[in-house]
Amino acid sequence: MQSLLPRTLPRFSRSSRALHTTARRFQAAPTAKPVLLKEFKIYRWNPDEPAAKPHLQSYKIDLNQTGPMILDALIKIKNEVDPTLTFRRSCREGICGSCAMNIDGQNTLACLCRIDRAGNDTKIYPLPHMYIVKDLVPDLTLFYKQYKSIQPYLQNDNPPEREHLQSQADRKKLDGLYECILCACCSTSCPSYWWNQDEYLGPATLMQAYRWIADSRDTYGEARKEKLQNEMSLYRCHTIFN
Amino acid sequence: MSSKSMEILNKQRLLRPSSPHFTIYQPQLTWIASIFNRATGVALSALLYGFSLAYLAAPTTFDSAHIIEVVAGLPDAVKYAGKFVLALPFAFHSLNGVRHLAWDMGKFMTVKGCYISGYAVLGATAVSTLAMVFYV
Repeated sequence: MQSLLPRTLPRFSRSSRALHTTARRFQAAPTAKPVLLKEFKIYRWNPDEPAAKPHLQSYKIDLNQTGPMILDALIKIKNEVDPTLTFRRSCREGICGSCAMNIDGQNTLACLCRIDRAGNDTKIYPLPHMYIVKDLVPDLTLFYKQYKSIQPYLQNDNPPEREHLQSQADRKKLDGLYECILCACCSTSCPSYWWNQDEYLGPATLMQAYRWIADSRDTYGEARKEKLQNEMSLYRCHTIFN
Repeated sequence: MSSKSMEILNKQRLLRPSSPHFTIYQPQLTWIASIFNRATGVALSALLYGFSLAYLAAPTTFDSAHIIEVVAGLPDAVKYAGKFVLALPFAFHSLNGVRHLAWDMGKFMTVKGCYISGYAVLGATAVSTLAMVFYV
């Protein structure tokens, strides 16, 4: 019956095994990505050899086989090059605050910091002027203690029967304050906090102290302010704005 | 935490290093201006107190006529360099002081505001220093 078909009809092929030859036009051959090496210099210190001084260890990885963020690079190094590299991480989306560290001189979250694809090396240090547990992991015990000391919870002696009502204007006052994830990047970038860490509260804690003073549902504003009335907790701030 | 584990932890804590700070932190207008403000403040105060005490101790060697005599005898290059060394800290400290007072009043409290006022102070310092060195 084939000979009765008009010659103008297109036919892919007569053979039933033609798929691999005709399909070549439709399959994309994967193009090999060039190797783009980048050097990372990362602060290392091992508590199992405490006498050894902290030093910068150099790692080179192929950026074209890595995700775009610094955290992706750190995880790749840990998986493929050096499993002893230690750092904190959790959400990988900038909401938990675990991966806070100093990248190329600025404190930021590793999961939100894009890798600079230009040639030169990237230096990764832990948060400045903090006691180091291991490699990039700082001891944040004091930071959390300072946060606890400002009583970061609603205090109201006459709670209403049902909800604490709050106008939209009053709620707007909390915008920009409540979102703090306590990553410690701001406090550890403050020179005043570097020199007086034990007594000065630092920007993160002070902003949260204000957040509770500014909350219209909280009635302990005066007591909270009284707690800051000493030489060190608040007034070590010299408006450096680092 | 049990006291035994607290003991071990505290022993470890004694050995921990402190991470580097101003040696690795990126130089930024914010903290460079701040430390320069403090340094110029100290230098200017040292000059003020130093001169006052010196005048108290030896009023004849430090009175205006004598100082003018000594300075007039110096070569021009030294005079200009000396004026520059005195004018720059004075100009910077005064202008940055105004910026600090503005912050105390709640102005320029954003990153942009901080940088704009910072560059304005730097520009004004350069202009005033040149004015003081060459025209005063």
